[in-house]
Amino acid sequence: MATDRLSATFGALADPTRRAILARLALGESSVTELAAPFSISLPAVTKHLKVLQQAGLITRGRHAQWRPCRIEAQTLRAAADWMEPYRRIWEAKLDRLDDYLRVVQTHEHKESLDD
Amino acid sequence: MTETTPLPPDVLITRTIEAPRELVFAAFTDARHLAQWWGPEGFTTPDATADARPGGAMRLDMHSPDGTVFLGGGTYHEITPPERLVFSTTILDDAGGTLAEFRNTLTLVERDGKTELTLSIQGVYASPVVAHYLADMEEGWTSSLVCLAEYLAR
Repeated sequence: MATDRLSATFGALADPTRRAILARLALGESSVTELAAPFSISLPAVTKHLKVLQQAGLITRGRHAQWRPCRIEAQTLRAAADWMEPYRRIWEAKLDRLDDYLRVVQTHEHKESLDD
Repeated sequence: MTETTPLPPDVLITRTIEAPRELVFAAFTDARHLAQWWGPEGFTTPDATADARPGGAMRLDMHSPDGTVFLGGGTYHEITPPERLVFSTTILDDAGGTLAEFRNTLTLVERDGKTELTLSIQGVYASPVVAHYLADMEEGWTSSLVCLAEYLAR
Protein backbone atom coordinates (compact mmCIF):
# COMPACT_ATOMS: atom_id res chain seq x y z
CA MET A 1 0.00 0.00 0.00
CA ALA A 2 1.33 3.45 -0.89
CA THR A 3 2.08 5.44 2.23
CA ASP A 4 0.17 8.55 1.14
CA ARG A 5 -2.82 6.21 1.21
CA LEU A 6 -1.70 5.17 4.67
CA SER A 7 -1.77 8.75 5.96
CA ALA A 8 -5.25 9.10 4.46
CA THR A 9 -6.26 5.96 6.36
CA PHE A 10 -4.84 7.34 9.62
CA GLY A 11 -6.52 10.69 9.00
CA ALA A 12 -9.86 9.01 8.40
CA LEU A 13 -9.46 6.97 11.59
CA ALA A 14 -8.64 10.01 13.73
CA ASP A 15 -12.32 10.89 14.11
CA PRO A 16 -14.40 9.09 16.76
CA THR A 17 -17.61 9.18 14.67
CA ARG A 18 -15.85 7.57 11.72
CA ARG A 19 -14.42 4.92 14.04
CA ALA A 20 -17.88 4.20 15.38
CA ILE A 21 -19.20 3.92 11.81
CA LEU A 22 -16.44 1.43 10.97
CA ALA A 23 -17.09 -0.55 14.15
CA ARG A 24 -20.75 -0.81 13.07
CA LEU A 25 -19.78 -1.83 9.54
CA ALA A 26 -17.49 -4.52 10.89
CA LEU A 27 -20.72 -6.32 11.85
CA GLY A 28 -22.08 -6.21 8.31
CA GLU A 29 -23.08 -3.90 5.47
CA SER A 30 -25.48 -1.14 6.23
CA SER A 31 -27.43 1.73 4.71
CA VAL A 32 -26.63 5.39 5.39
CA THR A 33 -29.89 5.78 7.33
CA GLU A 34 -29.05 2.79 9.54
CA LEU A 35 -25.55 4.16 10.12
CA ALA A 36 -26.86 7.60 11.05
CA ALA A 37 -29.40 6.26 13.59
CA PRO A 38 -27.11 5.99 16.68
CA PHE A 39 -25.58 9.45 16.16
CA SER A 40 -26.96 12.83 17.03
CA ILE A 41 -25.76 14.26 13.72
CA SER A 42 -27.56 14.97 10.48
CA LEU A 43 -27.71 12.65 7.51
CA PRO A 44 -25.55 15.02 5.39
CA ALA A 45 -22.91 14.99 8.16
CA VAL A 46 -22.88 11.20 8.10
CA THR A 47 -22.61 11.26 4.31
CA LYS A 48 -19.58 13.56 4.65
CA HIS A 49 -17.89 11.10 7.03
CA LEU A 50 -18.66 8.25 4.63
CA LYS A 51 -16.99 10.16 1.81
CA VAL A 52 -13.81 10.53 3.89
CA LEU A 53 -13.87 6.80 4.68
CA GLN A 54 -14.47 5.99 1.05
CA GLN A 55 -11.62 8.20 -0.16
CA ALA A 56 -9.31 6.52 2.34
CA GLY A 57 -10.33 3.15 0.92
CA LEU A 58 -11.83 2.05 4.23
CA ILE A 59 -15.33 1.48 2.85
CA THR A 60 -16.99 0.92 -0.49
CA ARG A 61 -20.57 1.65 -1.43
CA GLY A 62 -22.75 -0.56 -3.58
CA ARG A 63 -23.55 0.78 -7.04
CA HIS A 64 -26.58 -1.22 -7.98
CA ALA A 65 -28.95 -1.37 -5.06
CA GLN A 66 -30.90 1.86 -4.66
CA TRP A 67 -29.90 2.15 -0.96
CA ARG A 68 -26.21 1.89 -1.89
CA PRO A 69 -25.08 -0.21 1.08
CA CYS A 70 -21.79 0.66 2.80
CA ARG A 71 -19.28 -2.12 3.25
CA ILE A 72 -16.04 -2.13 5.24
CA GLU A 73 -12.83 -2.76 3.28
CA ALA A 74 -10.98 -4.98 5.72
CA GLN A 75 -7.93 -5.11 3.44
CA THR A 76 -7.18 -1.41 3.94
CA LEU A 77 -7.36 -1.79 7.72
CA ARG A 78 -5.19 -4.88 7.54
CA ALA A 79 -2.55 -3.11 5.42
CA ALA A 80 -2.40 -0.27 7.95
CA ALA A 81 -2.17 -2.79 10.82
CA ASP A 82 0.68 -4.57 8.99
CA TRP A 83 2.47 -1.24 8.63
CA MET A 84 2.13 -0.60 12.38
CA GLU A 85 3.49 -4.06 13.28
CA PRO A 86 7.25 -3.18 13.37
CA TYR A 87 6.43 -0.14 15.51
CA ARG A 88 4.52 -2.39 17.92
CA ARG A 89 7.55 -4.72 18.16
CA ILE A 90 9.84 -1.75 18.85
CA TRP A 91 7.52 -0.64 21.66
CA GLU A 92 7.42 -4.18 23.10
CA ALA A 93 11.22 -4.13 23.16
CA LYS A 94 11.25 -0.70 24.79
CA LEU A 95 8.82 -1.82 27.50
CA ASP A 96 11.02 -4.87 28.20
CA ARG A 97 13.80 -2.41 28.90
CA LEU A 98 11.57 -0.16 30.98
CA ASP A 99 10.64 -3.13 33.15
CA ASP A 100 14.32 -4.11 33.62
CA TYR A 101 15.34 -0.52 34.28
CA LEU A 102 12.69 0.12 36.93
CA ARG A 103 13.67 -3.07 38.78
CA VAL A 104 17.26 -1.81 38.97
CA VAL A 105 16.17 1.69 40.02
CA GLN A 106 14.13 0.29 42.89
CA THR A 107 17.03 -1.87 44.08
CA HIS A 108 19.26 1.22 44.13
CA GLU A 109 16.66 3.29 45.94
CA HIS A 110 16.32 0.50 48.44
CA LYS A 111 20.10 0.41 48.98
CA GLU A 112 20.28 4.16 49.32
CA SER A 113 17.54 4.19 51.93
CA LEU A 114 19.44 1.48 53.82
CA ASP A 115 22.59 3.61 53.70
CA ASP A 116 20.77 6.58 55.23
CA MET B 1 -10.04 14.78 22.52
CA THR B 2 -12.94 12.33 22.67
CA GLU B 3 -12.06 8.73 23.47
CA THR B 4 -11.83 6.61 20.36
CA THR B 5 -12.80 2.98 20.06
CA PRO B 6 -9.79 0.65 19.81
CA LEU B 7 -9.93 -0.69 16.28
CA PRO B 8 -7.28 -2.05 13.97
CA PRO B 9 -4.79 -0.69 12.95
CA ASP B 10 -4.41 0.69 16.50
CA VAL B 11 -1.80 -1.11 18.52
CA LEU B 12 -2.75 -2.07 22.07
CA ILE B 13 -0.06 -3.29 24.46
CA THR B 14 -0.70 -4.33 28.06
CA ARG B 15 2.00 -5.13 30.60
CA THR B 16 2.41 -5.61 34.31
CA ILE B 17 5.43 -3.64 35.52
CA GLU B 18 6.96 -4.47 38.90
CA ALA B 19 7.03 -0.90 40.14
CA PRO B 20 4.62 1.57 41.73
CA ARG B 21 2.78 3.65 39.18
CA GLU B 22 4.28 6.98 40.34
CA LEU B 23 7.63 5.60 39.25
CA VAL B 24 6.29 4.24 35.96
CA PHE B 25 4.67 7.60 35.26
CA ALA B 26 7.94 9.39 36.03
CA ALA B 27 9.74 7.06 33.63
CA PHE B 28 7.65 8.59 30.81
CA THR B 29 7.88 12.22 31.92
CA ASP B 30 11.38 12.69 33.39
CA ALA B 31 14.22 12.97 30.86
CA ARG B 32 16.69 11.42 33.32
CA HIS B 33 14.60 8.25 33.32
CA LEU B 34 13.83 8.35 29.58
CA ALA B 35 17.55 8.51 28.79
CA GLN B 36 18.00 5.21 30.64
CA TRP B 37 15.34 3.09 28.95
CA TRP B 38 13.99 4.72 25.78
CA GLY B 39 14.93 2.49 22.88
CA PRO B 40 15.19 -1.26 22.45
CA GLU B 41 17.99 -3.26 24.11
CA GLY B 42 21.39 -2.11 22.85
CA PHE B 43 20.17 1.38 21.89
CA THR B 44 21.00 4.47 23.91
CA THR B 45 19.20 7.80 24.15
CA PRO B 46 21.78 9.96 25.93
CA ASP B 47 20.39 13.40 25.06
CA ALA B 48 16.74 12.85 25.99
CA THR B 49 14.75 15.96 26.83
CA ALA B 50 11.18 16.08 28.09
CA ASP B 51 9.08 19.13 28.85
CA ALA B 52 6.22 17.32 30.55
CA ARG B 53 3.34 19.78 30.31
CA PRO B 54 0.54 20.03 27.74
CA GLY B 55 2.12 21.14 24.46
CA GLY B 56 5.62 20.52 25.83
CA ALA B 57 8.18 18.89 23.54
CA MET B 58 10.27 15.77 23.96
CA ARG B 59 13.42 14.90 22.04
CA LEU B 60 14.45 11.27 21.89
CA ASP B 61 17.29 10.51 19.48
CA MET B 62 18.15 6.82 19.61
CA HIS B 63 21.67 5.60 18.92
CA SER B 64 21.70 2.06 17.57
CA PRO B 65 24.43 -0.45 18.50
CA ASP B 66 26.14 0.12 15.12
CA GLY B 67 26.19 3.89 15.65
CA THR B 68 23.21 4.86 13.48
CA VAL B 69 21.20 7.67 15.04
CA PHE B 70 17.42 7.57 14.65
CA LEU B 71 16.07 11.03 15.31
CA GLY B 72 12.86 11.19 17.26
CA GLY B 73 10.69 13.76 18.92
CA GLY B 74 7.34 14.10 20.54
CA THR B 75 4.80 16.29 22.25
CA TYR B 76 2.92 15.82 25.50
CA HIS B 77 -0.82 16.41 25.12
CA GLU B 78 -2.57 15.34 28.33
CA ILE B 79 -0.83 14.80 31.64
CA THR B 80 -2.76 13.31 34.55
CA PRO B 81 -0.26 12.00 37.12
CA PRO B 82 0.08 9.20 37.93
CA GLU B 83 -2.62 7.53 35.87
CA ARG B 84 -2.84 8.82 32.30
CA LEU B 85 -0.59 10.35 29.70
CA VAL B 86 -1.35 11.23 26.10
CA PHE B 87 1.68 12.04 23.98
CA SER B 88 2.65 11.93 20.35
CA THR B 89 5.94 10.55 19.09
CA THR B 90 7.57 11.33 15.78
CA ILE B 91 10.27 9.77 13.64
CA LEU B 92 12.34 12.54 12.04
CA ASP B 93 14.63 12.71 9.02
CA ASP B 94 18.08 14.35 9.13
CA ALA B 95 16.58 17.73 8.27
CA GLY B 96 14.11 17.45 11.15
CA GLY B 97 11.17 16.69 8.86
CA THR B 98 8.49 14.33 10.17
CA LEU B 99 8.60 10.86 8.63
CA ALA B 100 5.93 9.40 10.87
CA GLU B 101 3.78 10.45 13.78
CA PHE B 102 1.96 8.35 16.34
CA ARG B 103 -0.46 9.26 19.12
CA ASN B 104 0.10 7.25 22.28
CA THR B 105 -2.25 6.92 25.23
CA LEU B 106 -0.72 5.46 28.37
CA THR B 107 -2.94 4.28 31.22
CA LEU B 108 -1.51 3.09 34.53
CA VAL B 109 -3.47 1.16 37.17
CA GLU B 110 -1.81 0.15 40.43
CA ARG B 111 -2.52 -3.32 41.79
CA ASP B 112 -0.72 -4.89 44.74
CA GLY B 113 2.24 -2.55 44.39
CA LYS B 114 2.63 -3.40 40.70
CA THR B 115 1.44 -1.35 37.75
CA GLU B 116 -0.82 -2.53 34.98
CA LEU B 117 0.28 -0.56 31.95
CA THR B 118 -1.88 -0.13 28.87
CA LEU B 119 -0.45 1.62 25.84
CA SER B 120 -2.69 2.40 22.91
CA ILE B 121 -0.95 3.63 19.76
CA GLN B 122 -2.66 5.25 16.80
CA GLY B 123 -0.93 6.10 13.55
CA VAL B 124 -1.30 9.78 12.64
CA TYR B 125 0.97 10.25 9.67
CA ALA B 126 3.34 8.16 7.56
CA SER B 127 5.59 9.51 4.82
CA PRO B 128 6.52 7.28 1.88
CA VAL B 129 10.05 6.49 3.11
CA VAL B 130 9.37 5.67 6.73
CA ALA B 131 8.85 1.92 6.26
CA HIS B 132 12.61 1.64 5.53
CA TYR B 133 13.43 3.54 8.72
CA LEU B 134 11.30 1.24 10.82
CA ALA B 135 12.87 -1.79 9.14
CA ASP B 136 16.41 -0.44 9.79
CA MET B 137 15.56 0.34 13.39
CA GLU B 138 14.16 -3.12 13.88
CA GLU B 139 17.21 -4.71 12.27
CA GLY B 140 19.35 -2.72 14.69
CA TRP B 141 17.72 -4.10 17.79
CA THR B 142 17.09 -7.58 16.43
CA SER B 143 20.80 -7.91 15.65
CA SER B 144 21.71 -6.64 19.11
CA LEU B 145 19.40 -9.30 20.61
CA VAL B 146 21.09 -11.93 18.43
CA CYS B 147 24.49 -10.71 19.70
CA LEU B 148 23.24 -10.97 23.27
CA ALA B 149 21.87 -14.47 22.71
CA GLU B 150 25.18 -15.54 21.14
CA TYR B 151 27.09 -14.02 24.03
CA LEU B 152 24.92 -15.77 26.60
CA ALA B 153 25.28 -19.09 24.76
CA ARG B 154 29.08 -19.02 24.97
